[in-house]
Amino acid sequence: MRGAHGGSLQTAGLVAPAFFAVAVFLYLPIAASGLLAVLDYHPATRAFSYAGLANIEAVWRDPAFRVAAWNTLVYCLVLVPAQVVVPLLLALGLREIAGSRLAPVYYACLFAPTLVSFSVAGAVWLPLLNPINGVLNEMLIAIGLPPSRWHTDARAALWVVCVVTFWKTFGLNLVLWYAALMTIPREQIEAARIDGAGFFRRVRDIDIPLASPTAFFILVTTVFTTLDDIVGIIDVLTGGGPFERTTNLPYLLWQKGLVFFQFGQASVVALVTIAIVALLTFVQFRFVERRVTYA
Amino acid sequence: MREVAAAERRRRTARLLVHGALAIASAATLFPLVWMLAAAFTPNDLILARPFRLWPEQATLANFAAASEAYPIWRWLWNSLLAAAAVTAGKLALSLPAAYAFARGRHRWRDAAFGFVIVTMAFPTVMVIVPTYLAVVRLGLVDTLPALIVPSIPYIGFYVFFFRQAMKALPPEMFEAASLDGAGFLRQFVDIALPNVAHVVPALAAFAFLGAWNIFLWGQLTLASVENKTLAVGVALFSDIEGAQSSWGPLMAVNSLAILPVLVVFLVARRSIERAFANR
Repeated sequence: MRGAHGGSLQTAGLVAPAFFAVAVFLYLPIAASGLLAVLDYHPATRAFSYAGLANIEAVWRDPAFRVAAWNTLVYCLVLVPAQVVVPLLLALGLREIAGSRLAPVYYACLFAPTLVSFSVAGAVWLPLLNPINGVLNEMLIAIGLPPSRWHTDARAALWVVCVVTFWKTFGLNLVLWYAALMTIPREQIEAARIDGAGFFRRVRDIDIPLASPTAFFILVTTVFTTLDDIVGIIDVLTGGGPFERTTNLPYLLWQKGLVFFQFGQASVVALVTIAIVALLTFVQFRFVERRVTYA
Repeated sequence: MREVAAAERRRRTARLLVHGALAIASAATLFPLVWMLAAAFTPNDLILARPFRLWPEQATLANFAAASEAYPIWRWLWNSLLAAAAVTAGKLALSLPAAYAFARGRHRWRDAAFGFVIVTMAFPTVMVIVPTYLAVVRLGLVDTLPALIVPSIPYIGFYVFFFRQAMKALPPEMFEAASLDGAGFLRQFVDIALPNVAHVVPALAAFAFLGAWNIFLWGQLTLASVENKTLAVGVALFSDIEGAQSSWGPLMAVNSLAILPVLVVFLVARRSIERAFANR
């Protein structure tokens, strides 16, 4: 069987490197996390001992864990909808003026921050946010408003992290939305317009259904950015503070693991994060994917 | 007739409003980056005296000199380039053959293996970080670039999925014709499949490069000594140690340096990115 398709040995041979890379570096560590959660690590002797449920209990009693879990939820609830809806509105605007000489300029400006690393994004904003003589406060004072302490203010810090994260990430979704919208036949939209369908009805009845596979992809990938990559921004901007107001579960995991060598507790935090991601992904597939119409 | 004219006027007003909204959004989005570039080339005391500016004042390279005196930023740049290039190459080398086999090959476990590989798209990096770090410690590889690079390669779920789609979309007749000419399964990969998806490879390579360039948490863990860090990891050190954050000029110089290579990569891959995402 050497025709147009490959024999099973050749197929297996080409897949094997990818298969084993994924198995060893992604699946095996997850299994190990489960094991580590019930072990204690002793940095001095580099030895492990059985800890039973002590790690789980310690994490559960840790106030930092509760704050981190709550913040993780808040980040998701604020950032996921914002990063799905705002880029959609911008993409709709860009389509409205497609053909204009300014359209590629807007597109490039809006995409630019996506090229910045998460940690660098935090570092770019540090001087702008500086409470003493940062640019943002200068602007506030210039228009007669009181200055803010931004990321060093316990009440504002989480929102500052949200804004910087949004700034750094929305460009990617904009590109995806725009690409999806541009494949929708122009005639279909014109026909609806002539039938008297207003802007929002056209978006709801034509654009969203026809772009729904992209919409679903955007939704799923956005959850991961929000959970995972945000850590770079948190670390540079706030270090999880003030008073742990901006920490999240992955950041707590990193602190417990590297800073305090509590690998067992860190694994428990990892497992909780995994459970949250699995739940969110399940909910998305269960309730959103049904409405996706694949052309 | 008058109604048509009125509708036309309404549409023109709407377009004007859209232009206004997009212009404001673009300016606000670009502002921090413009400020960063201006500050990178402006003497530090001028920035501290009056932070707001959109253009360098008394343009100077002193900030780059000061930054490289404080930290080995050129070494960091080299480490970043090396790591990002290696991770990108590794991802392509793993995902292209696998995608081809998943698209064209025959094996009873083919689809199960495909599911096994692409489900990893949904694995956040935090879930593997602790055990992988312990393994790196055991192997004595802490503080080496391979410790950063190798575990970062296997996140290939999306790449395999994307390349498989692209290869499945190729007309089967191309492969059948090659087969009639005596080209075997592997020959067809090299002669037919690869050249025909080559136009979208730069797009995915650019995203792989960006992803590797961004690596932060894992880099914080594995790259301990100052001279082994990458730019994305080193920046954190830089902004930390200055405490009062008074050396903004040098920090912005390092930030500018960290953005430049990615910008070049995306400019080079621009056409490819447009084509890669045009028909999804």
